[in-house]
Amino acid sequence: MKRSVLLRVNGERHEIYIKPNRTLLEALRKDLLMTGAKEACGAGECGACTVLVGGKPVNSCIMLAVEAEGKEIETIEGLSKGGDLHPLQEAFIDHHAFQCGFCTPGMIMTAKAFLNRKPGPTKQEIRDAIAGNICRCTGYENAVDAILNSAKEM
Amino acid sequence: MNDFRYVRKGLKRTDGELIVTGRARYTVDITLPEMLFGKILGSPYPHARIKKIDIERAKELEGVKAVITGKDTGYRRFSFIDTPAYPADQTPLAVDKVRFVGEGVAAVAAISEDIAVKALNLIEVEYEELPSVFDPEEAMKDEAPAVHDIIEPNTATAWEDFGIPLTKSRPYKTVNNISNRTLIEYGDIKEGFEDADHIRQDRFEIPSTSHMAMEPHVALANYQPTGKLDVWLTHMGYEHKRFWLAKLLNMPMSKVRVHKTYVGGTFGGKISIFPYEFITAYLSRLTMRPVKITLTRQEVFSVCPPARRMIVYLKMGVKGDGKITAYHAKVIDDVGAYRTSSPTAMYLAHAFRNPIYDIPNVRHEGYGVYTNKLFTTAKRGHSLQQMSFAVESQIDMICEDIGLDKIEMRLLNFRKKGDVLPNGDTLRSYALPECLKEAVDKIGWKGKYGKGRFRGLGIGTASMFSGAHNFPFASGAMLRLNHDGRIILYIGQTEFGIGIDTVMSQIVAEVLNCPIDYVIVNSGDSEVSPNDIGNWLSAGMFVSGEAVRRAALDLKEQMLKHASTGLETDVENLDMLDGWIVSRSEESKRLSFSDISKYGIQMAGGDPLIGKGFAKCVPEVYFWKGKFNKTASLSSGKGRFTEAYGLAAATAEVEVNPETGEVKIVELIVADDCGTPINVKSVEGQIMSQAVMGIGDVLLEEVRIKQGIVMNPNLLEYRVPTAKDIPKIRSIIADSYEPNGPFGAKEVGETSRAAAISAIANAICNAIGERIYVLPMTSDRIMGAISDAKGDNP
Repeated sequence: MKRSVLLRVNGERHEIYIKPNRTLLEALRKDLLMTGAKEACGAGECGACTVLVGGKPVNSCIMLAVEAEGKEIETIEGLSKGGDLHPLQEAFIDHHAFQCGFCTPGMIMTAKAFLNRKPGPTKQEIRDAIAGNICRCTGYENAVDAILNSAKEM
Repeated sequence: MNDFRYVRKGLKRTDGELIVTGRARYTVDITLPEMLFGKILGSPYPHARIKKIDIERAKELEGVKAVITGKDTGYRRFSFIDTPAYPADQTPLAVDKVRFVGEGVAAVAAISEDIAVKALNLIEVEYEELPSVFDPEEAMKDEAPAVHDIIEPNTATAWEDFGIPLTKSRPYKTVNNISNRTLIEYGDIKEGFEDADHIRQDRFEIPSTSHMAMEPHVALANYQPTGKLDVWLTHMGYEHKRFWLAKLLNMPMSKVRVHKTYVGGTFGGKISIFPYEFITAYLSRLTMRPVKITLTRQEVFSVCPPARRMIVYLKMGVKGDGKITAYHAKVIDDVGAYRTSSPTAMYLAHAFRNPIYDIPNVRHEGYGVYTNKLFTTAKRGHSLQQMSFAVESQIDMICEDIGLDKIEMRLLNFRKKGDVLPNGDTLRSYALPECLKEAVDKIGWKGKYGKGRFRGLGIGTASMFSGAHNFPFASGAMLRLNHDGRIILYIGQTEFGIGIDTVMSQIVAEVLNCPIDYVIVNSGDSEVSPNDIGNWLSAGMFVSGEAVRRAALDLKEQMLKHASTGLETDVENLDMLDGWIVSRSEESKRLSFSDISKYGIQMAGGDPLIGKGFAKCVPEVYFWKGKFNKTASLSSGKGRFTEAYGLAAATAEVEVNPETGEVKIVELIVADDCGTPINVKSVEGQIMSQAVMGIGDVLLEEVRIKQGIVMNPNLLEYRVPTAKDIPKIRSIIADSYEPNGPFGAKEVGETSRAAAISAIANAICNAIGERIYVLPMTSDRIMGAISDAKGDNP
C-alpha cells in the first residue's frame, strides 16, 4: 500500500505518496524529477546514484525512501548556490575530471562528504574514498587531482 | 605548427557546468507526458523452436496497452553489416526460433514498469528445445547443429540506397555455421616461410569483455499523429539509427528525428540498431503514446552484445636478423547468434595491424562463426586489441627464441612515413617509431630489462583508421552568423564523452579568430544538422572536424566579402581579430561580426550569412548508379580504406607476486600519434581512458558464458578498474602532423587501448618467464603458468 513520505531534499520539504518498497533514488528521479543522481547498476555496486543522507554518502538505489525520512538529503542539484559552482564542481571542470559525465554527480557527492570528514587528504586517501564510484571514461586520475585541489580551496 | 590561438590548447569543456550540476540530460532522464513503459520477454533457451505464444492473459491485465510477438514485427531484418553479400540476419523479436538465451520473443507496453513486468510473467511460450552449439570450432564441423539456414535479404541496404543495384543482393546460405569469411593475400607465404630462418606457430584466445558504459541501454520513442517519429537514444551517431528505424517501420527516413541527448558512454557498444530501440518505436506507433524501454544492468550484460571473442592461430617466419618474411593468421570470430559487424571485424583484424609491420608475404583468413550464445559487436579498437595481443605476444616469443632485442626487432620491421599500403592507403603521417622510442626511453627499458626476478617489461603497438568509407560516408556542417555577432554551429556529432561542442568550437574560433564563447554549438540533432558520419569509425575529428573547418572558411570568405564592400577596401587588406574585421592599412577602418551580420541583412538583400562545409572520408571511393571506384572489399581486403591512420606504442613495467599471482603494474607509458591534438587535455583524457580500460582487459574483464548463459551479469562479478587499481600512467602525444586532417589532426579514441593491452600482457609474461595465451591474465592463470613451468601438478 502506498503511503505518504516526507523528504527534506537540499533544504526543501517534499511530501510524496509512494509504496514503502520504493528506493530513495526512485523517489528522487521519478517523484521529484531530480535526475542528477543516476541509476547505472541498481544494486549498490557503482556509486552513480550517490547522494548524502545526514551528511553521509549512500547508494540511493539500495536505500528505501522511507529510511531517509526525517534526515537531511543532499543531491548534486543543491550543490551550486544561485549559479555559483561549488569548489568541487569548479575543480572537476578545471581538471577535465569527466568525459561522458554520467558518474560525475555521484562522484562529486562522495567527494563532498569525504572532504567534510577529511579536509587535507592525500592522493591515496582520495583514491580509496572514490573507489566505490565507477568511472569508465577518465581513468580517475583527473578526478583525484580535482578533489585534491578543491580540498585546498575549501 | 604551434602558432594556433585556440587549437592545440587544453581548453575547458564549454558545457562542463551542465555535467557538474547534474543538468546534462541523458535519455534515462527524459520523461514525456502519457509515457508508457516497455519490457521485453527473453528466451530461457539457447536454441529452441517457438511453438506457441499465448499473450491473452497479459493483454487482459489492467494497465497493459499493448503486447506484441515476433508474429507482429515479422521478418524485418537488420544488422550492423547489411551488404548485398551479407544480408541482415537479425529480427527485432524472434519469429520462428530463438538462438540465444535472452533473445526477445514478446514485448509489452504498460502504464508502469511494475505492470509491464507482471504482464511478461503472464505470457506463456511453448518451446521445442533444439540441440545447441557453444564452441565455435565445434560449430564449424559438419555434424554441428545449424544456428541459421538460408538468410533471405528483405530490407534494402544502405549501399543499395546509395547506388549498388538491388539485383546484387542474394540469399546467404549458411554452411558449417560460417557467417562470413575474409581472405586477404599478398606476396607468397609459401616462399616467405621457406625464406625464414625461424618460424613460430601459436594459438591465442580472447574472451568477450563488456563495454560497461555507465548509462544502460535505453530508448524513448514518441510517434506523432502527423506520422513523425521522435526518438531519444543512447548512441554514437544518428544516421544509422534513423536509417534502420525508417527501414524497419517502413516510413520516410526524414520523418525520424533523433534528438540530441547526452550519452553516458558507448565505447563501440551503441552503434547500429538494437531490438529494444525498434520495439520502443513500434510500440509507440501501435499505442500512439510515448514509450520508454530502460534496460537493467543485468539485461545490458545478458542481452546486449559485448566485444568480439576470438581464437587466433598465428604463424610468423623471420630471418635471423628479425626481419619478418611471412605472416599467416587464421582468426575465428565466435559471433554468437547474429553476425552484426563480423565481416568488418574480420577485415579490420588485418587492416588495423597492416600499417605497423612491413611484411612482404601475408595470408589473413577470418571466419565469423555462429554459435548459440549472446551475439557480439565492436568495442573500442574492433579487432585491433585481439590481434595486437596475439601478434605482439608472438613477436616477443620470437625475440626470446632467437635472442633478438625486442625494441630493435620492432623498429626493423616498422613501415615508414610515406609508405603506400597494399590496398593503396598512404601513410602521410607516421610517428610510430618515435612513439616506441619514447615509450621505451621513458620507462627506463635499457637499464631495467631482464634485471629483476618476477619483474617484467613489455611493449605493445597499435594502429587505427581515421574513419572509413562506410555508410554514412561523409559529414556536413553549417554555421550561422547572428546579428549579435555570435555564430551557431550545426553539426551532427554525438556527445558521449568526447567534448564535441568544445573541440568544434575551437576549430571555428581558430578559423574566424574570434573568442571561443562567440561559438554556440547545436550538435547531435538529426533534424537540424546535415548528414554526419557519427562518432564511430574513429571519424569524428578527421571527417566532421574537417567539415566544420571548411564551413568556417566558407563563412569567413562571405564575411570578408561584405566587409570589403562595407569598408571600401580589398579583401586582401582585411584581417579577422577577436570578433572584428580590421583593415591592415588603416586601423580605424573596422567592422564587428555583429556589424557584418547587420550589413548582410540590410545592405546585401537580406543575406543571412550561412557557412557550409563538408568532408568525405575517402573522397576517391564512390559508387553511383551502378558505377564504382576503389570500393574496399571486406572479404578480399582490396580497395581503399581510409585517409589517415592513428598509431600508438606502449610500454609497461609490472611486478608479479609469485606466491599469489597478483600483478602490480609499476608504470604504464602510452605514446600516441594522433597528429595535432585539437584539445590537448581531451586527447590526454582519451589516452588515459584507454590505458585504464586496457588494464581491465588484461587483469580483470571477461563476460563468462556457460551453456549459453551469462554467468556474471553484474558489477560484483564483472569487475572493472576502480580508482584503487590505477598505477602510474604517463601519456605522451607524439609530435606529428596529418596533412589531410583539420589542422593536422587524426584519430585518437581507439588506438591506445590495444597498445596498452599488449604491453601489459607482454610485461606479465616477461616477469614470470612463461607465456599465457589467454586473456584476462587472472592470478589463477598466472599461478597455473608458474606451477606448470615448475612441473607442479596444478
